[in-house]
Amino acid sequence: MTSRVMRDFDLLLPESVAQAITLLATHKDKAAVLAGGTDLLVALKFDYDIDNVVSLALVPGLDVLEFDSERGLAIGAKVTIADLLKSSDVKEYYPALWQSAKVFATPQLRNTATVIGNILRASPAGDCSLAIYALGGILTLENATGRREVDLDDFWISYGVTARKDDELTISLQVPAPATGQKSAFRRMTRVTEDLSKLNAAVCLQMDGDECTGARVAMGCVGPTLIRLPKVENMLAGSVVTPELLQEISDTVASEINPIDDIRSSAEYRLKVAGVLVKRVIKLALNEGNDQ
Amino acid sequence: MGELKVVGKKVERVDVRSKVTGGALYAADVQLAGMLYGKIVRCYDHAHARVTSLDLSEAVKCKGVIKVLGPKDVTQKEYNASVLDMMVSADMRGVLGDIDDQSIFTDHVKHYGDAIAAVIATSEEAAERAAEKIKATYEELPVYLTADDAKQPDALQFRPEKPGNLAFQLPEMAFPNNAYAWGEVDDSFAEADIIVEDSFYVSKQKQCQMEPGSYIALYDDQKRLNCWTSTQMPKLVQKKLANLYELPMTRVKIHTTVIGGGFGARLGMVLEPETCALAMAVPGRPVKLLSPREEDWLTSPSRHPGKYWMKMGFKKDGTPVACDAKFENYKGAYYVDASGTAFTTGAWLGGMYKFDSLRYRGESYYTNQSICGAFRGYGNPQTNFVMEQMVDRGCAQLGADPIEWRKKWHKTIGDDGWCIGVPYNSCALDECLDRAAEAISWTEKRVKYKNQTGVKRRGIGVAVMNHTSGAMPMLLEHTVCDVLLHQDATATINLACSDMGQGSHTTLRQVAAETLDFPYDDIHIATGDTDAAGFDIGAHASRTLYVGGGAVKQACEDVRRQLFDRAALELEEDASNLYMEDKIIHVKGASNKSISVQTIADQGVNNFMNPETGELIGQPGQIQGYASFFPPHNAPPFGATIAEVEVDTETGEVKVIELVNAHDVGRAIHPGVVEGQLDGGAQQGLGMALTEETYFDEKGICLNNSFTDYKMFGPSDMPKMTNILVENPDPTGPFGAKGVGEAGIVPPVGATANAIFNAIGVQILEAPITPEKILKALEEKNNA
Ligand SMILES: Cc1cc2nc3c(=O)[nH]c(=O)nc-3n(C[C@H](O)[C@H](O)[C@H](O)COP(=O)(O)OP(=O)(O)OC[C@H]3O[C@@H](n4cnc5c(N)ncnc54)[C@H](O)[C@@H]3O)c2cc1C
Repeated sequence: MTSRVMRDFDLLLPESVAQAITLLATHKDKAAVLAGGTDLLVALKFDYDIDNVVSLALVPGLDVLEFDSERGLAIGAKVTIADLLKSSDVKEYYPALWQSAKVFATPQLRNTATVIGNILRASPAGDCSLAIYALGGILTLENATGRREVDLDDFWISYGVTARKDDELTISLQVPAPATGQKSAFRRMTRVTEDLSKLNAAVCLQMDGDECTGARVAMGCVGPTLIRLPKVENMLAGSVVTPELLQEISDTVASEINPIDDIRSSAEYRLKVAGVLVKRVIKLALNEGNDQ
Repeated sequence: MGELKVVGKKVERVDVRSKVTGGALYAADVQLAGMLYGKIVRCYDHAHARVTSLDLSEAVKCKGVIKVLGPKDVTQKEYNASVLDMMVSADMRGVLGDIDDQSIFTDHVKHYGDAIAAVIATSEEAAERAAEKIKATYEELPVYLTADDAKQPDALQFRPEKPGNLAFQLPEMAFPNNAYAWGEVDDSFAEADIIVEDSFYVSKQKQCQMEPGSYIALYDDQKRLNCWTSTQMPKLVQKKLANLYELPMTRVKIHTTVIGGGFGARLGMVLEPETCALAMAVPGRPVKLLSPREEDWLTSPSRHPGKYWMKMGFKKDGTPVACDAKFENYKGAYYVDASGTAFTTGAWLGGMYKFDSLRYRGESYYTNQSICGAFRGYGNPQTNFVMEQMVDRGCAQLGADPIEWRKKWHKTIGDDGWCIGVPYNSCALDECLDRAAEAISWTEKRVKYKNQTGVKRRGIGVAVMNHTSGAMPMLLEHTVCDVLLHQDATATINLACSDMGQGSHTTLRQVAAETLDFPYDDIHIATGDTDAAGFDIGAHASRTLYVGGGAVKQACEDVRRQLFDRAALELEEDASNLYMEDKIIHVKGASNKSISVQTIADQGVNNFMNPETGELIGQPGQIQGYASFFPPHNAPPFGATIAEVEVDTETGEVKVIELVNAHDVGRAIHPGVVEGQLDGGAQQGLGMALTEETYFDEKGICLNNSFTDYKMFGPSDMPKMTNILVENPDPTGPFGAKGVGEAGIVPPVGATANAIFNAIGVQILEAPITPEKILKALEEKNNA
């Protein structure tokens, strides 16, 4: 239950994507990929199945963070949360992602933790994951038989479980380029500043003047995975965002979520406050003040 | 008192460089030749169970294992890890009913994480791996988490000598009707125009000191039991270990290592008994025991949580006529400090306001929670949460301004302090309140924040507190200090007072420098060796500067007296006709007649003969000062905090906007150290009010014994904060100083709660005041 000792494992240090994939093919479910290690090392102390840790430390080519106005944002497997914060493109074109990086953990963690590691962890509270979920994203995975792309919408299966196969390495993530009028925002609630979310929400709104033509609304900490709120998205699509609509949305959110009691908060509270949070994050995306 | 040269200055702290550079040697850093490692096997399946079988056989076979120990392989003596029982007389111990109820390993698991066995191995890893191989089976027992659970008539009894699982109540002999009381409470309530009454819950806060428990023990070739520990109380732990292992004190040595924070978590013993048990099993080999944080959480004491009921009565004009209160704390699995906190919680209540009559009953109930003991404030934060909210509810009904009411009715010089019969001898609380109110624009804001309607509402609240400097006269207060004057006229101060990060070694050195009238750099403080140092109770009850400083001052005065006596002989003058300046002793009015301290000190050590005259030069004998100091009082510190908050009425979230802490500190020997104590105290006080609680599920499994899920205020959560040091020298403190180690944590608790009350018009009766509770309370208010 409590331990001061890191258990024994083999640390494997491939020097290319190809070598990494070969190692994963060899060890399959007895291996884990090590990116920043901020989730993995905590879990490893008590995970007795993993004997081989495949580190990305020496693998070149995975630290791309590139914005292209056509293709969007490419995020390599070694891009850290701190890298996002340093990018003016992220700040300008993907405010939700930038805001999620801004409040993510502490400086030390941000310097180490990767964006893709956050997605692969498949936590229902993941902050950057949630922002990207709202913005949309496609993962590139590779194994010995080749590459495939998986839409984030199909990636998280249940708590901690993803569509990634044991022998696949996640190479990168592509976030679509924002069309003119795209607005996004992220907001989280925590017990104290440095904490995991007890409730988080992200939205990406496609605006045409006052009218919202399409929306992606995502929430965390309200189910076993991050979820989208289809009813709310439909209410937004094709509407002008009025205070009345916001109130209706706020009242609807509870019907789309299924939170539990845990140490960070209660189901009751989450049901009560989720609507308020979604309402506020929509207003934040529309630049109508950052709070109420 | 002339102009102070060292006292009052922000000199460099003695520990700052080593701590910043990583040079400080904590117990975990100490490496000894032939070191072995221990791992304690704990029950993480149940909070209450009997061990029905314990199979050590697989563990014994593991690689690197030296020994595996079950309950029968160690001393069978029971003990009490607390040291409170050593601070009172044997008679008083009997009156209080203090008992020994802990054993090294148990076959009756009483809380999640109770110890059942241990492994000694050649490495930490080998010990852990072997510990995992120990198999136990259990018979589950009913779990009692609260006083109400434990009180049930059919509840299993934790100890035969404590019927009803009532570990402690104020004893009839010292407290008639088991109450700390004055006046006739029931009659007084009849005179009240306004009565407020409610039942509160105060939380199980953890000290969260940075250094988790780390220990080494060695039973050496001299048959001496050595223990390296960062205890706050080396001398009492030495005695406790001597008692437990039936050794004379000369055969027990405590090596105190740098303390990585205490706050009460190291007051008394924690895992010293277990570590020593392991060392006794392998004589000649040092055994190191390092607690992971999760284990430290469960094995070191927490604050006493519990149900706290209070009723207050006032006359229309505000006169406080009666106060009745009862604190039923959830003691945890073992007795430890059951008597102490149950008493002091009421003492702080009694010490605060001039109620015509007051009655407080304190009871400690055994429960299947981890143990409770000392934590900064020692009952005071609990009382502050309840008492100050009740006063503000009273003020609201009276239409009284909370500051004006407090100024009118708080106890002051001449009134009984927290100990009935020991009146306050100094009090600058009015000045604290006035200056804090001015600093935060109290009057304007109280008006401004009336009748708010927005989503976010501001509130401003105040709380006051009284505390103590040392626990005299309830507990023994005594510190011995030696001062050794070296031949080059520098001095070493030797005493057992510990510095747990609060800065006491720095301030004690300042007291020495000031008293001797030596430069600060000419003094060294030697501590940490129980063979060398005389008695000291240890660092608790905000006493180290007050009592330790008193001892240092007296011992240094002894040195000064000896210096002047010798100078008088050498200069053939009366000592009263001498004065010292820059370490040279002069004859008043005769500037050419002088002798340096350096000369006296050197001649005392190197007492050579004059080859021409055959006479000894100067006075022989190295000068040593000595004091065995018992303080005359407990110099009460007072303090006030005003907090401003913003409550989000849609989410229940609270943002603390500003905190002003004004404290009557007597004299700030080192203003930076004092402010550090107030800052750190406020951080813990805000945590107690808003976020900190140890949670258990219904089976008694602890849910947040780590920093992942126990949330304290971090740097970015802290509000704008101002500390006002009101210096009103105490007649008994060294240079007028009072203890400030605990004061800072107390009033932020009540002030924050009152600010929330001011913002939303509802009081939250359970600490911590989480957004979840606020939202619920607001809903109830709206539905009502
Ligand atoms: C103190 C602390 C605070 C935290 N605060 C936050 C917070 O505020 N918000 C938040 O969302 N999270 C937080 N986390 C969780 C964690 O930091 C994040 O999930 C982080 O983004 C994980 O990234 P990493 O690079 O460290 O992943 P790792 O630990 O290296 O990996 C995580 C998982 O992903 C797998 N993986 C990683 N990269 C690949 C790849 N390329 N291919 C295949 N599998 C891969 C690993 O095998 C592992 O299972 C916190 C963690 C800690 C310890």
